[in-house]
Amino acid sequence: MVSAQALLDGSTLDDSTVIARSLEQPELFAVVFDRHADEMFRYAARRLGAEPAEDVVAEVFLVAFRHRGRYDRTRPDARPWLYGITTNVASQHRRAERRRIDVMARIGADRPGSFDDRSVERVTAQQLQPRLARALSTLSSRERDLLLLVAWTDLSYEDVAEALRIPTGTVRSRLHRVRVKLRRTLGAIDPFTLETQHG
Amino acid sequence: MDDEIQPFADGRPAAPPYPAEAREAARDRLLAEAAGRRRTRFRFGSGSGRPGGRFGVPRLGWQAAGAFGVTVAVVGGVVLALPSRPAPVAVPGAIATASPQATAADSVAVAPPVDGAELHPRAGQFLLVESETMYTAETMGKTERARYLYRTKRQIWQAADGNAGGLLRIEGLPPKQIPGWPLPQEAQQWESGEWHEISGHCPGQSDDFRTDYVHLSTLPADEAGMREHLYTGSPTKNPADDAAFTAVGDLVRENYLPRAQRQALFEAAKTIPGVEVAERVKDSAGREGIALGRNERGTLTQLIFDPETYMFLGERGTVVDAKAAEAPAGTVLALTAQLKVSVVDELPKVSGAGKDGSCDMRQQEPTPPPDSPDQNGDGALPTPTPTRTRTPQSTDGDTGRPTAPPPRPEPLTNGDAGVTTWAVPSD
Repeated sequence: MVSAQALLDGSTLDDSTVIARSLEQPELFAVVFDRHADEMFRYAARRLGAEPAEDVVAEVFLVAFRHRGRYDRTRPDARPWLYGITTNVASQHRRAERRRIDVMARIGADRPGSFDDRSVERVTAQQLQPRLARALSTLSSRERDLLLLVAWTDLSYEDVAEALRIPTGTVRSRLHRVRVKLRRTLGAIDPFTLETQHG
Repeated sequence: MDDEIQPFADGRPAAPPYPAEAREAARDRLLAEAAGRRRTRFRFGSGSGRPGGRFGVPRLGWQAAGAFGVTVAVVGGVVLALPSRPAPVAVPGAIATASPQATAADSVAVAPPVDGAELHPRAGQFLLVESETMYTAETMGKTERARYLYRTKRQIWQAADGNAGGLLRIEGLPPKQIPGWPLPQEAQQWESGEWHEISGHCPGQSDDFRTDYVHLSTLPADEAGMREHLYTGSPTKNPADDAAFTAVGDLVRENYLPRAQRQALFEAAKTIPGVEVAERVKDSAGREGIALGRNERGTLTQLIFDPETYMFLGERGTVVDAKAAEAPAGTVLALTAQLKVSVVDELPKVSGAGKDGSCDMRQQEPTPPPDSPDQNGDGALPTPTPTRTRTPQSTDGDTGRPTAPPPRPEPLTNGDAGVTTWAVPSD
């Protein structure tokens, strides 16, 4: 066998090429890990917290590796594919995510407007604002998957569609429903909350 | 993105750093998986499904005439396997080398080219191997893992000398269920046909990757020599016997070897520890042959050969350990038949074939690792080292360490450096 470096000699190779080559040279898949593991970790950690995210990412790349034969080689960027797998794997941690969201939502509810700035920062740095967490908790898991891919990653609607394996039109229509739901929750809460609002 | 969604984007939580130990552990797991599943694994075990180019997961298929009563015609030194049906030798667009009025030399249903009817493709010609395959596919559904048997018809054209690119045609066939595993939705989407270009031998690439006729003709024609060949190509982390058996399958699958090499390969394969010989094993076309089988992760993987000609007929994977294979004992998880091998002068004319970028990677100028501007770690790709690892010419005396750019066996795990260096040691 040829050593990997003989096969892979530049970062200019797109993911698709690397993945195709990894069918013959499985170890090359490490390149995909090296390129995207951090990003997948960040996404998983934002949703689930750091600890579950560690398990998720490890699992994501094993799953991706096992399914690399099905990778759509017309896609040079593997991130939509990986985000899709991350979403799937993360869904096995739904209960943990739910708990996390509830906790984040409660923090605000328990101490409305009474915390000092420093604790706010500490609380919110790695967490979602309580009002957003509450809004998030009103969504179905499928809607949450969609919303967070759109909001927390730089994927285009087309990429999100690919990640979730749904048509782009479906992304738009589902997103519309999500907006309606959010408008209801966020709109209702807003005027009465003292929480700071970003953006 | 405005309106109701914007606050979520703006309020995106900060992400904690990916702990280095966790990252390294995840990477190690991946590489262990990669090492453990080298090749065989993606044929039998895991995913696959949609083969892209020559990397198509299951490279199945194979040669052999016979299945449907193929005859072998000899014309002007070129032997063509001709189906007994009125079907043309090659698909439209391809031009058969000889007119089909040749002398029918053989019609043994089981045996493709027999003595005296060997194929002798010339440089510039193509070998066309047609096969039908069934392998296990694994998919991730919305939440559940699914497994099923996907089936295809494959035609692969490879340049006899490996210099020119070739083509691969894959057509879907109806899938089958694995006991205990419901057919996932995606299994129903089998009705498609694809064309893929396959690259020829890439300049500068090790011969170890070559599967063209000219190269295969240079392999040892005796058992001992062939056995050594099977073992010298062993990749790092796999047990050597596993790798040797895998190499046997890789050599025969969708390739055509001269008779001497076929026989040597068969005899050598028999000597691999763990290999069991079984008589009268059927391929997916119902042809019986002698099988060399080995237990691979709970599945008995059998390579079936014609006992007279040593032509590869097909392969069969049967569950022997229900737990390891995640299916009841006796379940057939792989079944193929290499139906026909023929020589053609030209590739069929097709448009829209998927590209094979294999050689592109090699032709690109090495790029120095970028300075990973962010945490994505885009960088740190290995530097090019066209090391031919199979036969280490230059080794550093007793350490056996290659003196040239230092590919080392362990490389699989040096994740912290972010550098991926895999050398496959020679022994």
